[in-house]
Amino acid sequence: MFELKQVSRVFGRKTAVDSVSFAIPAGQMVGVIGRSGAGKSTLMRMLNRLTDPTSGSIVFDGLEVSALKGSALRSWHRDCAMIFQQFNLVPRLDVLTNVMLGRLNHRSSMMSVLGLFSREERIMAIAALERLGIEQTALQPAGTLSGGQQQRVAIARALMQQPKVLLADEPIASLDPMNAKIVMDALRDINEREGITVITNLHTLDTARAYCQRIIGMAGGRVVFDGTPAELTTEAVNRIYGADGAIDETMTSTAINLVPSPKPVAAGVLVSAVH
Amino acid sequence: MSVAQTEPVLKETTREIVTAWERTTSSRRLYTVIGIILIAIGFVGSVQYADEANAGHFFERLPHLFDFLQWLIPNDWNDVWRALFDRASPLDNGSEAYDFAAGRVYVWGDFYIPEYFELMITTLNIAILSTIVGFLFAVPLAFMSARNITPSPAIRFGARRICEFLRAFPELVFAGLFAAILSAGPVPAIFAIILHTIGALGKLFYEIIENIDMKPDEGVRSVGGTRLERIRFAALPQVLPNLISYGLLRLEINVRASTIIGAVGGGGIGEELRLAISRGFGAKTLALLLLLFLTIIAVDQLSAWMRKKLVGEHQFLLAH
Repeated sequence: MFELKQVSRVFGRKTAVDSVSFAIPAGQMVGVIGRSGAGKSTLMRMLNRLTDPTSGSIVFDGLEVSALKGSALRSWHRDCAMIFQQFNLVPRLDVLTNVMLGRLNHRSSMMSVLGLFSREERIMAIAALERLGIEQTALQPAGTLSGGQQQRVAIARALMQQPKVLLADEPIASLDPMNAKIVMDALRDINEREGITVITNLHTLDTARAYCQRIIGMAGGRVVFDGTPAELTTEAVNRIYGADGAIDETMTSTAINLVPSPKPVAAGVLVSAVH
Repeated sequence: MSVAQTEPVLKETTREIVTAWERTTSSRRLYTVIGIILIAIGFVGSVQYADEANAGHFFERLPHLFDFLQWLIPNDWNDVWRALFDRASPLDNGSEAYDFAAGRVYVWGDFYIPEYFELMITTLNIAILSTIVGFLFAVPLAFMSARNITPSPAIRFGARRICEFLRAFPELVFAGLFAAILSAGPVPAIFAIILHTIGALGKLFYEIIENIDMKPDEGVRSVGGTRLERIRFAALPQVLPNLISYGLLRLEINVRASTIIGAVGGGGIGEELRLAISRGFGAKTLALLLLLFLTIIAVDQLSAWMRKKLVGEHQFLLAH
């Protein structure tokens, strides 16, 4: 159970996240949507404490996350796994080592620095890769993999952390539609099988509708929508994106089975769009 | 058809842009010409000043350059090889100029290492040892100096000042200082080169480290890695090929430095070279110069080849 109370983050003069409060029960799959710069990524990074909140409190199962320091903070990083838009793997290390890095907080620092991982950890890592269908890449440098494969390596690394929460900061924004589907399916699978809370930032509305039980909409650092996909009406979408009915979900969709139907456009509309 | 006819007709505002461009270009050219003239005046003036400040006038003495070098020409050219490989010379009259065979370093039985090769190995050894030790100290200092790895300004300030201090003095200054404490020989030379190497590499290394991609670091941080683990798994794999490449470059420089320090009492081949020159032993000097020349070329080529291999692999991985 995540509880945010009046959480804010200020960068210089800009308020990126402005008194956000909500609660997320354990095991929920939540999508966070909003325009670029709406504060989604900052919110995500504060949940896992890669960024510190300026004010407010974040509590997880009675643990005051916003006050953690030192090794307690590193333990929180372990319990609250995160995957990133740019994957954040170590490109020069092989895939298996990258996945085993997920165990760092479970073991002695000295053994890690020497690169000594146990047989159990290697088997655990290869099993995680197998679950995501990329075990054949285990010995390649992570930098030589395609984007979709790299994101799956990042998910395998997150699984190795045995986290309580999985955060995903625009996990599919750099991926093609097929890979986006594989990654989103993997996140849903983790949510359903392990019962891990999954919170993900998304740019495509239909992905949010298809995968998330709950959608949080942000605009200007504030939460302006919080509800089920069914409640996300055109009116709500306009409130989030601040566009007066200009958004056609089928235009930005990357869904594979969804075929956008071309609509006839008046000549006058085209001309006014050019100028 | 003349060119004027094909010239496009420009709008009034566009024509103004062309005139403005021509104006700025011509003034820039004027400044370039003035600058070149000033540099030429400065060059001629300083050459004259240096020539007058010198005791013997440079241009008057120039024709005598080859008189001075005449002593280098040996009586018998074969003596160069004999000096190099410690073979007895037919000219041997008991003087030090031709006592080639006396320097042999016997290893076992009749097998010996020629004296100059042994001295060259000493010089190379000084360079290799001090490069390795310097490298090992430079790496942690560089990580402590890098803004993206060390958040504490106090530690960064300290580490950077240490490197600057060590870099500020040439090896020769340190060598003189240590020779006074430890007496002449290879040990003060090694200490001197180590200290300068730490300073020089530390600076290069921290600039490399500050340029790394921080995404892997964030990844390791997000799994709960300690600072040491972040350096080991996110930073080190990115910088290691570059660090080793610069370490090899430093080895080339240190071979020369160790030769020069040798000439002022640091042992090795430099000392022998200085003695041979100061006493006017032509064959010995040529043999030493030849050996030095070939060794330095070999070290440079070897390290260039290794660096190319390292950096080549580096580029391959960054392409993805």
